[in-house]
Amino acid sequence: MQWHDTGSFGMIFVIVLVAFILFNIYRAETKKKELYIRRIPGLNAIDDAIGRATEMGKPVLMVPGIGGLNAISVQALNIFAQVSKAAAQFGTPIRLCVADAAVFTVAQEVIRDVYQQQGLSEKFDPDSVRFVTDRQFAFAAGVSGLILREKVAAAFFLGEFFAESLIFAETANSIGAIQVAGSTEKSQTPFFIAACDYVLIGDEFYAASAYLTRQPILVGSLVGQDWCKILIAACVLFGFMVNSYQRTQTTSLQRMPWSEAEPEAWAQLTPEEQGNFEAVEVMKDTGTPTLVKKENTGLYRVFNPMRDRESLTVTREKKAVVAPLGGGE
Amino acid sequence: MTPEKPTFFEKIQNVDKRILYLILIVLTTIPLFPMFSSIVLPNEPAPHSQAFYYQLMSVPEGKTVFIQSDWTLSTRGENAGHIESLLRTVMSKKLKFAIYTVADPQAPGVYRKYIQSVNAERKRAGMKEYKQWEDYVDLSYFPNAEGTLNAIGSDVRKIFNKRVKDPASGKDRLVFESPVLKDVVKVGDVGLYVVITASNSFDRTVERLSDKTKVVVMCTGVIGPSTLPFFQSGQIKGASIGLKGAVDVEYMMKYGLNYPDSTGKIKVPWSGKEELKADPVVEGMTIARGSLYFMSFHAAIALLILAVTVGNIGMFMARRKKA
Amino acid sequence: MDFLAQVDPRVNFWATQPGSVEMWLKILVGLVISAGAIFALIKMPTRGRRPVVMAFTFLCGLFYVLLWIWPSPLNRKPDEIARSPAEGVSFLLADTLPIVATITNILVAILLGLGVYSLIRLHGGRIIKRHADRGFSVVLLVSMLTITVFGYLDWGMRTFGDKEGKLLDIANWGFVNLGADLLFDGLLQQMDSAMFSMIAFFILSAAYRAFRIRSVESTVLMASALILMVSLLSAVVVVWNGNVTNLAAAMNVPLANPSIGEAGALNFLKISNIASWVTSFLQTPALRAVDFGIGLGALAMGLRLWLGLEKGGVSV
Repeated sequence: MQWHDTGSFGMIFVIVLVAFILFNIYRAETKKKELYIRRIPGLNAIDDAIGRATEMGKPVLMVPGIGGLNAISVQALNIFAQVSKAAAQFGTPIRLCVADAAVFTVAQEVIRDVYQQQGLSEKFDPDSVRFVTDRQFAFAAGVSGLILREKVAAAFFLGEFFAESLIFAETANSIGAIQVAGSTEKSQTPFFIAACDYVLIGDEFYAASAYLTRQPILVGSLVGQDWCKILIAACVLFGFMVNSYQRTQTTSLQRMPWSEAEPEAWAQLTPEEQGNFEAVEVMKDTGTPTLVKKENTGLYRVFNPMRDRESLTVTREKKAVVAPLGGGE
Repeated sequence: MTPEKPTFFEKIQNVDKRILYLILIVLTTIPLFPMFSSIVLPNEPAPHSQAFYYQLMSVPEGKTVFIQSDWTLSTRGENAGHIESLLRTVMSKKLKFAIYTVADPQAPGVYRKYIQSVNAERKRAGMKEYKQWEDYVDLSYFPNAEGTLNAIGSDVRKIFNKRVKDPASGKDRLVFESPVLKDVVKVGDVGLYVVITASNSFDRTVERLSDKTKVVVMCTGVIGPSTLPFFQSGQIKGASIGLKGAVDVEYMMKYGLNYPDSTGKIKVPWSGKEELKADPVVEGMTIARGSLYFMSFHAAIALLILAVTVGNIGMFMARRKKA
Repeated sequence: MDFLAQVDPRVNFWATQPGSVEMWLKILVGLVISAGAIFALIKMPTRGRRPVVMAFTFLCGLFYVLLWIWPSPLNRKPDEIARSPAEGVSFLLADTLPIVATITNILVAILLGLGVYSLIRLHGGRIIKRHADRGFSVVLLVSMLTITVFGYLDWGMRTFGDKEGKLLDIANWGFVNLGADLLFDGLLQQMDSAMFSMIAFFILSAAYRAFRIRSVESTVLMASALILMVSLLSAVVVVWNGNVTNLAAAMNVPLANPSIGEAGALNFLKISNIASWVTSFLQTPALRAVDFGIGLGALAMGLRLWLGLEKGGVSV
């Protein structure tokens, strides 16, 4: 028997996380003193990388991954806008290769705006932003060819990468380019770490735009994320302590589906009723004390409340039956 | 002043990578020759592979399985073994299946090829072929993964609202009139939901469907570790990871799980879960593509370990000599 | 006009009886609103576009947020009426979800076509402007056209011209079918596989170059990597674990499960158990922690985009 329906706990928790983020955005906008962000080596290296490319007279390569126009690509383009700003100031040529037509359109606008805002519109080369192809390995082949032909001095791989990540990283490494990489795909992080000079791990990628621009909204959002992480860590610790204690206790009560606990009563239901009540669970006394299982702990029940028959009994009026559509051919 | 000639240890820590590539090519190619192809290496299936096989073999006969096949031929080294062993098991258990993809427009062409090849294999062995409409339906490609998976969780009949050809009448009919899907009202009615993928499409599936149906994953080795947090928490019920995962499944198809052979010996024990048994697959091929590639896999990993070891030995000895 | 009707006989806000007045009214209103919106967007001044984009983004995001927050209908049958306005909203959201999913599928499919259009525009422009590398652009466009033509012809033959399914047998293939197979399976898929297999070589050279013991952290990294790589070699694992079992027997240590030869107290020496421990207690918690971080980053980014707080790369 579940006395209180805790099924909304997960949703309320997420709303609290959202509130933390929004509160800190407000806090950053209104506070006079800048909020602190720790040093991220990969992002500090951007200016060095561009300086090196300028000395060598070679271009800077930027690749925002192969995903479509989503939050990750937008974030990558935000970072590349900062890189392009520095490159424009030094007069370093850039190459931005994209694998999605929608991202290509946005990237062209972003980079053109960067040059315009620096007062260097005439220096913007439309060919510097290239749509190669939207096929993964054709894109990998195209970008690798560009790296080898143009001998890029600095390469930035930031965004949604999959199997082609190592192809880019090793090819750029083979010509001695300095590389800064970061992917939200944690499976690709080890490949970048093996082949690249600087790697943004996990949500350092999302922190990058806040770090580079120091816009209050972005910094506040980052601090809000940190509050969320602290809350999650506290929940993990609390859950670990509570569960560790409870799992060492013994009980003869087991939580199980009604169909297993009372098969005779279940068999007497109509198929429609069985369909309605298949989520019903009861606590059955097995008579044999055993260690408390995961499904019987209080915390499990918070996220997976037991449903009883009453809560799943729903009576609604029916509307007039609609005649089935004929053929459709 | 002439530069010093590099010592032996300095040479071995800077071996030309073309030499390494050549050795890799030779070592991975030799085991593929016919004289080696019949060698079956002994194996200990991983716990997540055992859980995967148990879930697959627990599906009652006649139930429908949903297969979300999100891979293309670039990862066929791993995923081809996955889909072949899955189809062989599903067909031998006489389960029905609905197959589709939410990831890549090339994927439908790929899975159709493998359904045809497994069917041809069954025909050659005198077994019943699987026919569209009666035994399986091909629902093809859905471009937007998030929206489609949300809709599958909410109203599967609405999102799979399409027509396929009924060979008996020659007309296009609603898929939910077919024997494959007529008993599926919601996604929880399927016996199992299998995701075969080389990308993070299983993430999206787990987010939206893991609380509505039993989800198992067959994925490449690179993204395999990403499935393990979900396996640990019970959000996915089993995972066949990489080429090793394909070999594990083939091995259990041959020897069962906690299943005693004719001498009473259990070849694949599942430690701590001795009460959970799964039979071997009785008809069709079991040891196949995965096991064929397994020796090459061993050779590649062994070369990797050797290269790393040699590089470190060279580094240490060169440092000692300089000191 | 049956082809305009919803195939599912359920009638709701998004569906109606075929040929009814309601259906024609909904089509007319939809067309008028769409035409008006397109005209208004064309005529809108540039500075008005951002608020429109923000409003649209907010409304579309609001649908999914409401879908998540609002309670979903319980045990709903197709012909039932909502008991209250709140349940009515949940019915509407549940009915709308497949429609929205279909619309997003169509939009994403259009984006596939946008990729083709972009390629044609880009490379066509290079050919017309007599760019230095226009030869490669010619090759690209000719290849694209060829595979498209063969693909469509093959699909047409199979869908409309082959009722008996004869083309499933390769012996019945003609020039078009062989051509489509050669271009797709023979060329495109094999080139994809070849590019992917290059990764094996790159992993070897990257590992050989990067896995050097230079610090405590790199030692730990190397050790765990070696354990996990060895645990993938089943031939080695079986021999190693067998030796542990034999050692246990020789030392008279009780076997935990004699029927399967589990080595009891010495189980921790088995390479598969060591690898399993490293995976379960080191790797998986770390991945979960990274997942939390990435998830929160995506949540924050999504919030900023939804609420229009994201200024984009323009304000540098």
